[in-house]
Amino acid sequence: MQQYVTLSIDGVPVRAPKGSSVLDAALNHGICIPHLCHVPTLSDTGACRLCIVEHVRNGWGKVTASCTLTVQEGMVILSNSEKVKKLRRNIAELLVAQAPNSRAVQDIAVRCGVKEVRYPFRNENCIQCGRCVRYCKEIWRADAIGFLGRGKNRRVDFPFGVKPEFCKNCGSCTLYCPMSVTPCEGPMKRGQERLCGKCESQLSLAENVPGACVRCELGKGFQCARHTA
Amino acid sequence: MPRLRKSGELKALQRELQEKNRNFRSTIVICGGTGCQASKSPEVIAAIRKEIARQGLDKDILVRSTGCHGFCEQGPIMVFEPGNLFYCHVSPEDAAAIVEKTVIKGEIIEELLYTDPVSGLKVAKEEDIPFYSSQDRFLLSYSKKVDPCSIEDYIAIGGYSAIERALSEIDPETVISEISAAGLRGRGGAGFPTGRKWAEAREVPGDEKYVICNADEGDPGAYMDRCLLEANPHLVLEGMMIGAWAVGASQGYIYVRKEYPLAVKHARIAVQQAREMGLLGENILGSSFSFDVEIARGGGAFVCGESTALMASIEGKVGEPRPKDVHTVKEGLWNKPTVLNNVETWANVPSIIMNGSSWFASKGTKGSKGTKIFALTGQVKNTGLVEVAMGTTLRSIVFDIGGGPKNGKAIKAVQTGGPSGGCLPVSKFDQPVDFDSLTDAGSMMGSGGMVVMDEGTCMVDVAKYFLSFLQDESCGKCVPCRIGVDRMLEIVTDITEGRGRPEQLSLLKELAETVSETSLCGLGKTASNPVLSTLRYFQEEYAAHVNHKSCPAGVCKALINYTIRPEKCSGCGLCLKACPHEAITGEKKKAHYIKPQECMKCGICVSECKFEAITVN
Repeated sequence: MQQYVTLSIDGVPVRAPKGSSVLDAALNHGICIPHLCHVPTLSDTGACRLCIVEHVRNGWGKVTASCTLTVQEGMVILSNSEKVKKLRRNIAELLVAQAPNSRAVQDIAVRCGVKEVRYPFRNENCIQCGRCVRYCKEIWRADAIGFLGRGKNRRVDFPFGVKPEFCKNCGSCTLYCPMSVTPCEGPMKRGQERLCGKCESQLSLAENVPGACVRCELGKGFQCARHTA
Repeated sequence: MPRLRKSGELKALQRELQEKNRNFRSTIVICGGTGCQASKSPEVIAAIRKEIARQGLDKDILVRSTGCHGFCEQGPIMVFEPGNLFYCHVSPEDAAAIVEKTVIKGEIIEELLYTDPVSGLKVAKEEDIPFYSSQDRFLLSYSKKVDPCSIEDYIAIGGYSAIERALSEIDPETVISEISAAGLRGRGGAGFPTGRKWAEAREVPGDEKYVICNADEGDPGAYMDRCLLEANPHLVLEGMMIGAWAVGASQGYIYVRKEYPLAVKHARIAVQQAREMGLLGENILGSSFSFDVEIARGGGAFVCGESTALMASIEGKVGEPRPKDVHTVKEGLWNKPTVLNNVETWANVPSIIMNGSSWFASKGTKGSKGTKIFALTGQVKNTGLVEVAMGTTLRSIVFDIGGGPKNGKAIKAVQTGGPSGGCLPVSKFDQPVDFDSLTDAGSMMGSGGMVVMDEGTCMVDVAKYFLSFLQDESCGKCVPCRIGVDRMLEIVTDITEGRGRPEQLSLLKELAETVSETSLCGLGKTASNPVLSTLRYFQEEYAAHVNHKSCPAGVCKALINYTIRPEKCSGCGLCLKACPHEAITGEKKKAHYIKPQECMKCGICVSECKFEAITVN
């Protein structure tokens, strides 16, 4: 029989199946924690760090990713404290400066409150969320792509850079890629990158009703759990 | 070697070996560590052995090739026992003279003695050298006594008595409570109480548990772990055996990086010898305890020193960390309870069991007990491995042991804890060096790197150096570390190259805090320490770079100019000849001139000039 635990997220008591992640528990109760590398049905790696929350223990909040944090009885989580919001905004700013040509990333930046980008844009084609790699490995059991290199040179590629026979040509890697949907006005050219901010108007409602999901449709580009549910 | 089957047999063997060593009149100890090997110590050892044999002294004189003594800059080092006569910079050609004069006639060869750079006097005995006498050497003192490739040497000085005692007299719980009472904290950096770690691992249910020795030391300039593993692998092995007995593990791993070939070799030999003697394997010394150790070679990634990345690497996966919300003592290697400790931590264990926790706790401060080895490098007169009791002040390490500044320039800061540590200014030099006070000051103990910097070092440049190291070594899995460190480097590079803007300083600070709060593993969480600590203590240097576009230390090339002061220039032409870019013009006996467009700011002319006529501004 499924066992449940009760935890508190932003002061709201939340009942969640034992063994599930804090992020899933929050999303299932309409508490929208921004996330990027998390995809329902895939394992979580905690790579994008957008879903950070404060885990309060003994009066001391530790910032950690909620997708890799397992729910425990009596846990106290703050998903929207000022500290978390600020850190999350900074991470979103790093992401959008790195890859402005993605609607998902642009949406996340706006949703996290990024008003200006203080770094020079880089316009890269991959933000290494690892969705494609995990989908290929965990759902298709193909392992046709993986991460190569380290640090700045880390990238997604075929083994030895050659497309292997065991690639099933399923296309899931592009389907789940947050970079495959460009901003509404099309891809930005080098030197013309900007924070598009087009989605901001739709956020006014969410700001007025904190903690409640407005089914904002913004998740469409990056498979928000509420959208697919 | 005989196989030891019962606990009494070890004592008998120890007595027998000590008796054998007593037959030698004296011992010549020659350092064969990596540092001394680079300065030809294998040739010296061979030459001395040959000479001893030629003189027919091989029954009287024992020549022992040991691991690192810590004073690598003076290598190859030679110590005569008894008496502790100390020779340095010995070359193979000296062998005949050494045997002829010192060994046979008992004379001292003046040229081979150490010259104290502070007083300028020759020092004959090892214990009179300030570098050694100001230290509190315990772990390092072993390296002189044993040949790392000989288990007999280790047994003769009482080796493996601690595991024998643990197996026959004390139960695992008592071992753990002894370690806890001793106050031993992890030497790898974070300083987690070892006893608590072991107790947690023991409580976790499960038959299969592991112990790991982390010898993946990657900090620039730090080599304590390499030295310990090279000089005395059996000590580390014995510590691991005691730990395994305490937590109930039957398999251990030594994870050592492949860039340490000598450490790998010595660890392998040690494991092989211990297996042959029955000290590793089934039913060790007749007890119910079975334990074996494997050597895992790391590929040289800095991040693999992080516990979860290290375990992934042993498992054969990509060495990337995973979230540690569940600790590795519960789910570690192959998801089994695992105790991972640093080389130095393991090396401290046997003596705690032998001498008791109160002996260990008698040294150190309230929160940090025992001694700690530091790798002292940078702008000090004496560099090398330094072992001091916890709580010794930075001033004492830098000035008493290190001998003070090397080039006459005033010392400005000390960088502790490797790339994840921070820079502490002179005003913090009277702080005791222990885990808590270093963390309070914005740095960390780290594994024990200590780089001394003088007035000629630009702190922004230091931050840039460490950031580029970390950016290179980041695994790239999480965003704050991969992109955040890269962006910090971008900003700091802008500042050093004269493109800095005042608002970038606050952005740098905010970004550094974000990276340290949100990164996945310990590497990322500490990656901003070099920036945060330099921003905290050397704000004015950043301000000078940004607001006045000048580098006070004269290091950042984009912000400095070399000029020749005509009144001091004698027109000797040395700089003109030395300049590789032909940027200096001038006639003989007349003041020379540096063409600013062609000057590449390499600084060669400054070192060539004998009249101090070239200035940096």
